[in-house]
Parts: sequence; structure tokens; C-alpha cells
Amino acid sequence: MQPANGGIPRRSFGRTSLQISALGFGGHHLGDAEDQPTATRLVHEAIDGGINFFDNCWEYHRGKTEDWMGSALRGKRNQVFLMTKVCTHGRDKDLALRMLEQSLNRLQTDHLDLWQIHGVSFENDADLFIRPNGAAEALEQAKKQGKVRFVGFTGHKDPAVHLKMLNTGFHFDALQMPLNPFDGSFFSFQQQVVPEAQRRGMAVLGMKPLCGAGDPVKKGALTPEEALRYAMSVPGVTVTITGMDKPDVLRQNLRIAQNFAPMQREEMKALENRVRSVAADGRFELYKVSLKYDNPEARLAHEFPLDMQQKEVKEMMRSTENTGHPYPQLEKAK
Amino acid sequence: MSRVTRREFLGQAIADSGSMAMAQQNTQQNTSSDIPRRPLGKTGLQASIIGMGGYHLGSADDLSTAKRMVDEAIDAGVNFFDNAWDYHQGRSEEWLGAALKGKRDKVILMTKVCTHGRTKDVGMKMLEESLRRLQTDHLDVWQIHEVIYYNDPDLIFAPNGVAEALDQAKREGKVRFVGFTGHKDPQIHLRMLRHGFAFDTVQMPLNAFDASFRSFEQNVLPEANRLGMAVFGMKSLGGSGEMVRKGGIKVEDGLRYAMSLPVSLTISGMDSPEVLHQNLSIARGFKPLNDQEMHAIRDRCRFEASDGRYELFKTTKKYDSDEGRKMHDFPPVAQLPA
Repeated sequence: MQPANGGIPRRSFGRTSLQISALGFGGHHLGDAEDQPTATRLVHEAIDGGINFFDNCWEYHRGKTEDWMGSALRGKRNQVFLMTKVCTHGRDKDLALRMLEQSLNRLQTDHLDLWQIHGVSFENDADLFIRPNGAAEALEQAKKQGKVRFVGFTGHKDPAVHLKMLNTGFHFDALQMPLNPFDGSFFSFQQQVVPEAQRRGMAVLGMKPLCGAGDPVKKGALTPEEALRYAMSVPGVTVTITGMDKPDVLRQNLRIAQNFAPMQREEMKALENRVRSVAADGRFELYKVSLKYDNPEARLAHEFPLDMQQKEVKEMMRSTENTGHPYPQLEKAK
Repeated sequence: MSRVTRREFLGQAIADSGSMAMAQQNTQQNTSSDIPRRPLGKTGLQASIIGMGGYHLGSADDLSTAKRMVDEAIDAGVNFFDNAWDYHQGRSEEWLGAALKGKRDKVILMTKVCTHGRTKDVGMKMLEESLRRLQTDHLDVWQIHEVIYYNDPDLIFAPNGVAEALDQAKREGKVRFVGFTGHKDPQIHLRMLRHGFAFDTVQMPLNAFDASFRSFEQNVLPEANRLGMAVFGMKSLGGSGEMVRKGGIKVEDGLRYAMSLPVSLTISGMDSPEVLHQNLSIARGFKPLNDQEMHAIRDRCRFEASDGRYELFKTTKKYDSDEGRKMHDFPPVAQLPA
């Protein structure tokens, strides 16, 4: 796996010899692209630009992003490190394995490089994960069957929840978390989780370098370049996953990553200090302090309220024709 | 209206509870149908174990319903009334003020100031507005509302912050006692207490689910008790009855659990006469649950407590007011309901 490298630095995936681009292609935003041809072009241009890490998730846009990525990667599957996530949110192993089959179908592949538990947000998620018949057993089985090479988990809520997952004793190869200048001083994954992951030799996947929807950039708290460079410079981070729904966003990010020189510690500190007062209440990290970034699947599984204005909920209601039975909507394997 | 001295107030309170008992065709002694009273921390006041929540009062059908409910609550022995400057844009205070006309001296009146990081002057201006709406010249308790953002303690105790307004209002005799409220995280409450400010009161969510999730009962209540503060419990049923509607707990068990904790009182929202009657009947002749009963209720709630699904005030933005969101630059309720 060493395609034409456009100059984006590559880093080892955990303690393996696999080389991952320091910038990763976020799956969620791919589904926000104007149409499928645009999405395909975005994926191809990203690969040509030196990105080889592709993120996705079973529940993004109800499967659309996996579908689009799968067809965009046709013939290029072996050039990339492909990750998707499973959305059990505390539910059983069997459900997880059925979701895996669906993800593989949509992504048009027989294996994933990385399969992660999605959105570990709730304080009892670790217990639900590790319980008998929980999703932990699905990760093990899928690995044994060769359907996934590595396993991990993701979440954006609270470093304490991540630490609980690590403390289950389950062997994870990777974990994913928000890493940005605001996180540096507020419920900090960087402070609390990254060192622990490094100690265990795990691959550290950063996300939300621009806080999810670019709010701090829109409000002038920092520039995209500052944000992205900061996230990619966090000591111990393997890859920074960021969403790119338009060609100009992709090009901007490619440019930053291709010219990447890590920020020095002092520069990072200065940036943290500059945003400290607005970091202190979480206004730019709504994924930590509100439900805004918690998908309907997570909310339903935990019986939290849905937000009828949320795009994902509208998609869910459309695709289920308001049956009142939004979940599980698992089609039979093709 | 002159300020009530502590002695006059106590005398009044004792007389009230006596007449209330007679009105209910019971003996003048503290009988099984009285609503018990407890000391309000070190204030010397005695408060009914259930207090009337101000937010829900503003959700009543109309002013005359609200008035009837307040009258009825007072007649039944409720003497603690909660409110806040921003509830229903002032309607809750206005309705309570109108309902308390001629009865102001019979009750312990509390309202809250909603500076959310703004300065002392803003706090003092809000106090004047609250006093005018409540038609009184003083409050018994004035609390800093919604201390729920992680940097709120810093903002409150910054030079010229609202803590100074609390001091000044107390000095000027406009408020007798001061405190703070919040529903988010015990850590924020503890940070407030660590400042060493002489708070007389503190308000927090206390319920059967809280007992095993980000627990105010475990983390804050013992500290407040140690400091001799008056503790007001709130959200005994989840804020909007979530624990009853979805959590399968009986209203009676939920309220009795909250009232059995070492608190001065439990503030409960009542937006209709039916809810008021229900709460009054639970509070009358109330006997605290024993340890075993408390334990059994906690156990029944433990699984669903563990992700905070019925304590949305802790885990979502749902209960965070627009006033506070505005000051912290968060999206308003309409854009970010939870």
C-alpha cells in the first residue's frame, strides 16, 4: 500500500508497519456532496493527492456514504486503508454482525482494514459493549473470520467514557476522538486519552479538527489551516480525519497537508491560550455538551429524544415512511 | 411593606401552620395530615418540605388558575415559593407577585438572578425587576440561576461579577439569604463551593436516578450538609415527569425519595390544580423512607440511570435556558433543542 504520495506525510498505524496518510477522508461529509459523480471525483482526487485513509460508518446518511464510497473505490480498494463503523450503541453482537455484512456489501469489498464501534458516548456504553453477547464478541468474531483486520472504537463525548472503554481490557487496535485546540483545555481527549492510547501502542485517529461543522472558523476564532495543523501536530496522533464535501474544501485540506510541517509545542500552546476563554464552556465543542452530534441510532438505542429538525432524523423518517419503526432497517444481503 | 424580622417571621410561620391545621379539621398539633416543616439551613426559617416551583406556575392555564393554586398551596401549608427572573419572560414572577398580594409575609420567597456571566450591575437591575414583578421590597432567598457552564464559577467570582451583587443586595436589606442553583454537573457545584463565598442556600437535582449517575446526592449534598447550607432539591421526577412517563417510577416514590434526603425541601413544578393536589397529598403527613426503602428505589432505577436518559438536564441542552445560551454563545433552544 504505497501509492503515488502527493507529499502528505505518512505514519505507522499503531505498532504495525502499515503507513497511513496524516490526513484522512471523512465519510459523513461525502454524503453531503452535491451528487454521486461529485463524490466519486472527490474520492479519486483525494487518492491522487496522497490520502489513503478512508473513514465511513454504517449509519451515515442511512448507507448512502458507504454506497458512494464503495463505488468510488471500485478498482482502487487495495490502494486505501478502509474503515467503517458499527452502530450497535449498546445492542447485541448479532446486530453488529448483520451491520458488518451490510457495510461490506455497500463498500463492495470482502474485508475492512478497520472496523470500529461508533459513537461511544454514553456512560454505560462500555458496560454494554463488553457484556456477554455484546458488540465486543462481534469484533472478535469478525477479526477471526478475516472480515476485518483491526478493530477500534470512536466517540466524541467525554474522555472518561473512552477511558472506561480502555479499561474493559478488550484489545483494541485503534481509537478515534476529537482533537483540536479547544479540546486542548476542555474535557481534553488530548490530555487524558492520547497518552493512554500511546502507552498501549494503539493507532490514534483524530477527528473534528474544525469542531464538526467549522463553527470556530465561521466565527473567526481560528483559520482552517491553524486548526488542521494543530490537530495533525498533536503528539501521538496517527491520522486526522476531516470531512470534505466540496472540491474546494478538499483542495484546501490537501494543500495544508501536503505542505505540512508540525507545529511546535509553543505554537500549539499559544493557539490553545488564544481560544481558551471560548473553549471553557464548550460552545465550539457541542458534541461534548449537547446531543447535536449524536445520531438517531444512538439516541434511539438509549431512549434519548430525537430532534425532528436534525438532517439524519429527516432522512430516517423519509426512508422508513413514518412507520414508527425506524430501527433496525437491515435489508437482506444482496 | 416592612421587612419581617426573623422573630416575627418565625411567629408568623408557627401561627400559620396552626391555622392551617385547623382549616383542615385536624388537631392543632403536628398531625399526620400536616405538611412537615424543616429548618432552612442556618437561616432560622422553617420551610415546608415541598416548595412550589416557579417555572411551572407560569405554564398554568391563566392567571386566575395560578392564583388559585398559590392560595391553595398556602392553605395546605406550603410556605416556600420558587421563581426566576427569566421564567416565561417574567410572567412567572408577575403571576406569583399577584397571587401573593396580602400574603407575602406568610411565605419564604425565592427568586433567581440570570446574569450568566454578566456583571454585578446587570444582577442588581434584574433584582429590581424581580422585586417589582413580585410586588415586594425584599426576597427571602436570591440565588444565582443555572450555574451549568464549566466556566460559570470563574465568571461569577470575577471582579465585578454577580457574587458582588449578592453581597450588596444582602447589605442593602433587599435579600435576606443568597445561594445558587444548577442542574448540570456536581463538579460545577463543588467548584462554586470551593470559592468559600458565604452561600446560605444551594439548589440541585435530587432524585432516585441521580443517586447513581453524576450524582449530586453523592457528591454535593454531603458537602452542603457539612457547611450547614439549606439544600433545595429539584427535578425529583426528571424535570418534566420523564421518570414517571417513561421510567416507570411512581410519582409518589419519586417525590418521597427526594424528600427523604437530608434536604430542607424539594421544589416541585405544578402547572395545574391536579398536580398540586397530587403533590400535596404526598407531602401531607410525610414520613421519610427508611434506608431499605431508599435502597430498593435506587436499585429499581439503576439500569436506566446509567446513561442519564431521564436526567436530560445533565446529559443534554434540553433544560438549558435561552438566556444562558445567549450569554455563552450557544444556539438557542429552537436550533438546538437538546
